[in-house]
Amino acid sequence: MRWLVLAAREFRGSTGRIAFFAACLAVGVAAVVAVSGLSSALDQTIRAQARQLLAADLAVGSRRPIADEILAAIDGLVGARRVQVCELPSVVTGVPGDDGDSAPGASVLSELKAVGEGYPFYGELVTRPARPLEELLDERHVVVAPELLVRLGLDVGEGLMIGGESFTIAGTVSAEPDRMGASFSFGPRVLLSVAALERTGLAGLGSRVKYTVLVRLPDGTTPDDLAVAAASIRSAIADPEFVELETASEAQPTLRSGLGRVERFLGLVALLSLLIGGIGVAQAVRAWLAGRLDAIAVLRALGVRPREVFGLYLGQTALLALLGSVAGAVAGTLVARAVPTMVSGLLPVEVVVGWQPIAMVRGVALGLGVALLFGLRPLVDAMRVPPIRVLRRDADPLPISRVLGVLLSSILLAGITATASAQSGSLLRGLQFSAGLVVATAVLAGSAYLVVRLTGRAPRDHGSVTLRHGLAALARPGSGTLGAIVALGLGVLTVVGMWLIQDRLSAQLRADLPDQAPTVFLVDIQPDQWEGVEESLVVAGAESIDSVEVVMGRLASINGVPVAELAVDENDRSSDRRWVLTREQRLTSMATLPEDNVIVDGALWVHPDRSEVSIEADFARDLGVGVGDSIVFDIQGVPVELFVSSIRTVEWESFSINFFLVVEPGVLDRAPRFRIATARLSAAEELPLQNRLAAAFPNVTVLRIRDVLEKVVGILEQLGNGIRFLGAFTVLAGIAILAGAVSAGAIRRGRQVALFKTLGMTRAQVVSVFAVEYALVGLVAGVLGTVGAVVMAWTVVRFGFQIAWAWNPGALMVALVATVVMSVVAGLAASARALTVRPLAVLRQGD
Amino acid sequence: MDETRLLSLEGVGRQLPSGGKMLTILDAIDLEIAEGEFVAVLGPSGSGKSTLLALMAGLDRPSTGTISIKGERIDRLSEDRLALMRRHTIGFVFQSFQLLGNFTARENVMLPMELLGRADARRRADDLLASVGLAERGHHYPTQLSGGEQQRVALARAFAPKPALLLADEPTGNLDGATGRVVLDLLAEMRASEGATLVLVTHDPAVAALADRRIHLRDGRIEHEETN
Repeated sequence: MRWLVLAAREFRGSTGRIAFFAACLAVGVAAVVAVSGLSSALDQTIRAQARQLLAADLAVGSRRPIADEILAAIDGLVGARRVQVCELPSVVTGVPGDDGDSAPGASVLSELKAVGEGYPFYGELVTRPARPLEELLDERHVVVAPELLVRLGLDVGEGLMIGGESFTIAGTVSAEPDRMGASFSFGPRVLLSVAALERTGLAGLGSRVKYTVLVRLPDGTTPDDLAVAAASIRSAIADPEFVELETASEAQPTLRSGLGRVERFLGLVALLSLLIGGIGVAQAVRAWLAGRLDAIAVLRALGVRPREVFGLYLGQTALLALLGSVAGAVAGTLVARAVPTMVSGLLPVEVVVGWQPIAMVRGVALGLGVALLFGLRPLVDAMRVPPIRVLRRDADPLPISRVLGVLLSSILLAGITATASAQSGSLLRGLQFSAGLVVATAVLAGSAYLVVRLTGRAPRDHGSVTLRHGLAALARPGSGTLGAIVALGLGVLTVVGMWLIQDRLSAQLRADLPDQAPTVFLVDIQPDQWEGVEESLVVAGAESIDSVEVVMGRLASINGVPVAELAVDENDRSSDRRWVLTREQRLTSMATLPEDNVIVDGALWVHPDRSEVSIEADFARDLGVGVGDSIVFDIQGVPVELFVSSIRTVEWESFSINFFLVVEPGVLDRAPRFRIATARLSAAEELPLQNRLAAAFPNVTVLRIRDVLEKVVGILEQLGNGIRFLGAFTVLAGIAILAGAVSAGAIRRGRQVALFKTLGMTRAQVVSVFAVEYALVGLVAGVLGTVGAVVMAWTVVRFGFQIAWAWNPGALMVALVATVVMSVVAGLAASARALTVRPLAVLRQGD
Repeated sequence: MDETRLLSLEGVGRQLPSGGKMLTILDAIDLEIAEGEFVAVLGPSGSGKSTLLALMAGLDRPSTGTISIKGERIDRLSEDRLALMRRHTIGFVFQSFQLLGNFTARENVMLPMELLGRADARRRADDLLASVGLAERGHHYPTQLSGGEQQRVALARAFAPKPALLLADEPTGNLDGATGRVVLDLLAEMRASEGATLVLVTHDPAVAALADRRIHLRDGRIEHEETN
């Protein structure tokens, strides 16, 4: 208690220091709390709205029609109701006019969703007119997204062609409870009845229908009842590896785990700004203690033990850290509240971020931990103040044991790793993060030190007075700017590096496709339609037309072991492998392989008495098969045994038609099939072709690759915005540190200003001397940061994503200038008090 | 062993590095100080007076020789033990006052007693401030006090924990003659009432004249001693 009282007294008069210390921490804590607050709000929203997001209590989904046994099991549940939902993409068009104009109407790739009566069981479907769906939909009426009306130039009441059949648009739909994140869709929605879908005949063709049965249990169903119901349905599923059962109490496990991954990544970016703030804390504590040396010496002379000195200042540091962290936690929550409106398209649900106590406590704890970690070294140095300083000011500090020095560094490293592991949810990622941070900091610090030393040696006989003084100030030993350069440089590195990577990815995706790459994919072409489709392509001026027949099948067994057993075995370990084993497989037949395929093991079609298959190397590894193995496919109920006779590599980047599985010609001749095709087309010809095909072959779906890539770029850029937004906090932390370092030297600067003014400098000249110094700090930090960013981005782009690197000197210049401007503004703001001093007042104080 | 011996130095020397070689500040000092004694240490600048005081207080360590307080060797104690020894045994008065700027006058006086955990710290601090004539100034910060007033607060602080040994380093050095006189009178008065042993470093013969014994230092050695 008495130590607390002492700490409080010793604290007086340090209020100026509090602002910068608190600011350094608050910025980082705000970033951390914003990320975890937003993420937990999102998680809570998803959990709270689980039934609405599923539109049911439970849902059974599959790529094939839901089996009768499963439907019977659902009907066997007391009071249960079910509704059928089918989803598939299809190109739709306006009804051709009856003015004899032969030009086809506009077409658009849309997402059809056929729903039975009763949909949705939960959640709100927003339609206009606002009437029950049953009244809007029937065999001849559909409801569409407003966007579709705009793109086809239609109005409610007009006609729409789907699968060659004509419908009337009965209204618009603007929100569905179980459709999340419109950014991720390929086209506008068309809602229709099951009967209407049957009339189009689309469900019977092709391969991309997703069947779902939504189940509603009686009101008052408990989670336990739900689990019992789910178990009884599950027991009716004959092929569980191909059927998904999802319940409302699981609350979107896939979505939430995806969001969790995003949170862990962003959490690390946020942590970075907190750790940079830690550098500021170390600097602030050091500067603060430097001003307390005399007081510490007196305390020591009066009999205060070294460890008590440590405890005294540790207590004060902790108190300050608590203040800064709480301020940051509040600011972070406010930021989290603002974010949902900024990225509304990306978030799957309407999120209302309230106060997130757990996120706030976590942020405060991290802030406190980081402050103590980084403050530890200067605090330990406070123990070394020799009591004899009361008599002799130049006395050497007490010796520190080498073991303690090593121990302190180890504690710092371990602490950083621990916080990074906590933020990323993995010790390995925590270790990688801290290793990367240590390397980046060491390189930046080393380079900054070199630059500052070289500046000190630069000849100063030329140039203006202000430039020479600015250079001298930068090089002055103990000016405290080195830490600021490192911190600011790390911030610049993070923001510019992340931006460069995202910019390269976007540019690469947007760039003209490779010369020989196709620009359109055509799927679901019936074999007898191919001749007509090919003619349309030729008429449109398409080049490099390529087409193959595709047979859909499911893997049944590998070397006699049923997939169900393989899938169950691997269920816990890797969902990727489960996906590989249970997806709908596309098989094709080819006599010879395309040019970009290279056989790496075995040989093609060499066994006259066996049905052979050639498998792509990565896929074969995922399946766990090699040459000589036997696999069985279930093709529309017929088992087909295939012998693996070769393994080959494929150049996927070519965008040509390629398959994981190529089967020997003749084997699949009797299986039902459809065709897919690729072609290269000028951008201007794509839409007219889609329109013509939609009119002539309504079941054929045209996928325009440029369009798809544009959507991916859009998502990427929104993610990039989020990362840059958080990265900005690291720059902010760097700026706070610079301001702190400048303000720590306020007394010295005041004396300097007084001297300059006494010697006849105008205030404007003094300001420009300081501005030059801060500009140099910004310049060095900016150059080092951007160079680091380029190195990091280049490495990631070339080796991580394996795409070409391209320079963007304009952006780098912008980053550089912005850094310089920010540091001049922050530095001058922090020197404001020193700049206003009267010369006499300062010089009289003496030293 | 002499029952009344408080402090003893045997063969104490102190060297400090200076410009690449070792400079001898003190050499072969043998000195004993009895309980209740008032000893003045005199000598010109650079004779080693302040270093001798620092060694007596355990603020510095001798290069050679031994120093004992109440029969216990202090020259080999850890920093912690030295701090506790000072807390319990030693009071200080410095030339430059050395009050804590963030503490009020009263808090400065209370500090040594609070370190000892004394419950009556505040009452005794008020008594001590009254006895140095600053009863009304307890809530003032050092910067609000004159030099003489600051040194009187420092006196009150030095006597606060009832130290067995009071060490004063040129206590009047930063004060004008009249103010210095007042401080010295108070020092003598309080020593009498609190009963402390006093070692006072000065180069002012008039100040030294008050002492029971005067030790003259020159070039780090005891030149001669005089006793009243």
